[in-house]
Amino acid sequence: MPTQPPLPPLLTPYVSSLPPSSLTVLSSVLGATGNWLVLRFLHAALGQPSTSDAALGFSETNNGKKRKVVLVSFLRGWEFWRTEAKRLGLDLARLTDKRQFAFIDGLSELFSVPTATPTQTSPSHNPQLRGAVPPRTVLPLRPQPGPVPARGPQPAPRPVATAPNTPTSREIGPVKRLHLSGNGNAALDALEKDITAVINDLKKSMTTGDGQEETEVLLVIDQPDLLLAATGPGRGIGATEMGDWVMGLQQHVHATLLTVSADSPLIHNASTFAHQPTTPLETEHAAFSIGSAHRAHMVMQLRNLETGAARDVSGVLRVSKGGAWGQDDVDDHWEEKEVLYFVQRDGGVSVFGRGE
Amino acid sequence: MSFRKRNVGLSAGVDRAGTVNGTAQPPRAPATPESIPGVRPSPDDGKPTTSTGTPSLDNLLAGHGGLPLGKVLLVEENGTTDFAGALLRYYAAEGVVQDQKVHVVGMPEQWGRSLPGLLGPADSVDDKKDKRKGDRMKIAWRYERLGEFGAGIAGSRAPAGDQSQSAADGDVDKRPAFCHAFDLTKRLTHPSITNLNYIPLAPSNEPLLTSTLKRLQAVIAACPPNTVHRIVLPSLLNPAIYPPETSQPDNLLPFMHSLRALMSTSSARITAMITIPLSLFPRSAGLVRWMELLSDGVIELCPFPHSSDALGSSGAATSQEEPPQGMLKVHRLPVLHERGGGSDQNIGQDWAFTLSRRKFEIKPFSLPPAEGDKEGQEGAGAASGGMPKKAELEF
Repeated sequence: MPTQPPLPPLLTPYVSSLPPSSLTVLSSVLGATGNWLVLRFLHAALGQPSTSDAALGFSETNNGKKRKVVLVSFLRGWEFWRTEAKRLGLDLARLTDKRQFAFIDGLSELFSVPTATPTQTSPSHNPQLRGAVPPRTVLPLRPQPGPVPARGPQPAPRPVATAPNTPTSREIGPVKRLHLSGNGNAALDALEKDITAVINDLKKSMTTGDGQEETEVLLVIDQPDLLLAATGPGRGIGATEMGDWVMGLQQHVHATLLTVSADSPLIHNASTFAHQPTTPLETEHAAFSIGSAHRAHMVMQLRNLETGAARDVSGVLRVSKGGAWGQDDVDDHWEEKEVLYFVQRDGGVSVFGRGE
Repeated sequence: MSFRKRNVGLSAGVDRAGTVNGTAQPPRAPATPESIPGVRPSPDDGKPTTSTGTPSLDNLLAGHGGLPLGKVLLVEENGTTDFAGALLRYYAAEGVVQDQKVHVVGMPEQWGRSLPGLLGPADSVDDKKDKRKGDRMKIAWRYERLGEFGAGIAGSRAPAGDQSQSAADGDVDKRPAFCHAFDLTKRLTHPSITNLNYIPLAPSNEPLLTSTLKRLQAVIAACPPNTVHRIVLPSLLNPAIYPPETSQPDNLLPFMHSLRALMSTSSARITAMITIPLSLFPRSAGLVRWMELLSDGVIELCPFPHSSDALGSSGAATSQEEPPQGMLKVHRLPVLHERGGGSDQNIGQDWAFTLSRRKFEIKPFSLPPAEGDKEGQEGAGAASGGMPKKAELEF
């Protein structure tokens, strides 16, 4: 197989230009995970337009605007994203220093009590990262990686839930860590505040020189359904609260990519035709993911091959219009499609139609 | 070739052949970077991996030849048998033999005393090797097309071929053994077996799993940084061991998530193996699916109901092989599926497992000829089984 470009041409129209204030839902199942596709979104937003892209005429999708990405990951740590992005030629650590990318870690300390944080990993990151960067004009805007300056003017201050957190929610290296504490909306609001602080911080920091005022921030929320599953109605977080939470985050960014699990037990058990008793976990999950799909502009579903596993096919990608498609007059240059994809050992991805 | 000057000696060509061989063979560096016993770099991506104590399970794990550090393997089992428990015991025993720190959650100390006895490194103990070599010529030739399962890409065993076989056998003695063979009927006596760390499920004012995790964190944090840990969680959620409220999602899933967080810190060298009884918690339940999503590898054991009598003779492809005792399904493999999955040669195979006194073996499953089908049975007996031949004709 010939070496693939990092972004397969078939995928480019889907991942490279997300309409303003849109939500894209990417659903995955156990055997067909969507991390590779998230990385393609990152690459489309952050990667330098390569010569092949320019030749294909996709380079104008940037529109001269500066693109930035905030990645919130609940299931995977910074190490994973950094190494996998590197395989695509995307240096996330460098992009973090250039203030084009920010990672928010929802894995490491989400449920842990703030005192027990014996993490040796990030402090070792910190000096080398900071030391490697030559002093830029950016830095005076952010004197210390301490408490984020944008936290002050945030609306909706909720001191109740955040108060015990603030001492520990320091930024370590490039990574901000989320903590979940408290119940219901207060807990979610605290998370939202942390995330929007990072977003605003990223928006404010101008990259060197070229005077582009407009920055488009893409927010990637990786598997927030974990929050829903791991808390449940017992802690006052349900599908409605989660939907509101995502919508609240959407207001701050240009476009949002949301990944959820769509395994059959999580979606279909909730239906009234299911043969077994339904748990709240299943109903809430189904409500959240289906609700998100209805609010989405585009839905990308990953699933296994129905005919069993194959050695040269990893799974099926179906791109379809979400419930919010066509609400605003953006000329969409993509069509609904179902293709097969194959993730190679070296991280390259080939996307092809059936029978090709 | 055409770029080479004609009048230059052939030494360059020899060199080139050497490098080609080198790339074709996965880099099997015997020395790990830190040279920790029982840890070796994966032939696939160089990440440190450790053995599960079961050679054929190691080979199943997406070309890594073991369980990569920082990964959780979830073993699910249907029915009332305890094959998964045997896998766990091998896993724990391997950790003991390799001087790794083994943490056993929710089990009394008897569990540790019943670990299987050590026979020796897995490579040298394989007493059936010669016999199998003979078999390979006659009958098992059809398995050879399936990518050398016994050897695996990772090659915890010697590669096939007589010359390399003897060479590798020589290597085995020099290299520290990566995987050992155990005997289930004997008891493990090893100096470091007293290092087993039992984490009882003691009730406290906190939720049970929270306090368990805290204890785990404390023990791991107290160990010197180079220690390799193994976390063993036998039959999680089993109501005989765990109180019913543990199976609430808001207890269990934060625990699994925090476990994942604990293991994903790059300084930690931890692997974990968890078993759950599927009869009580079916895969079609959302909770179990979330447990699977939070694990890095998921395999399911489906034991045959009456493996001893009904399937005894016909389940095995030949009379010399032991009949399979159940099917093994691979739902997710560490690292591979996190990246997107699908390119492993082992995927899509039907696997059968056989637990004997000395080993837990996983091999490709092939349906036996139908009972009444005399012709088919004879065909299988004469080693001209219809299936591979047909496949060759079609493709």
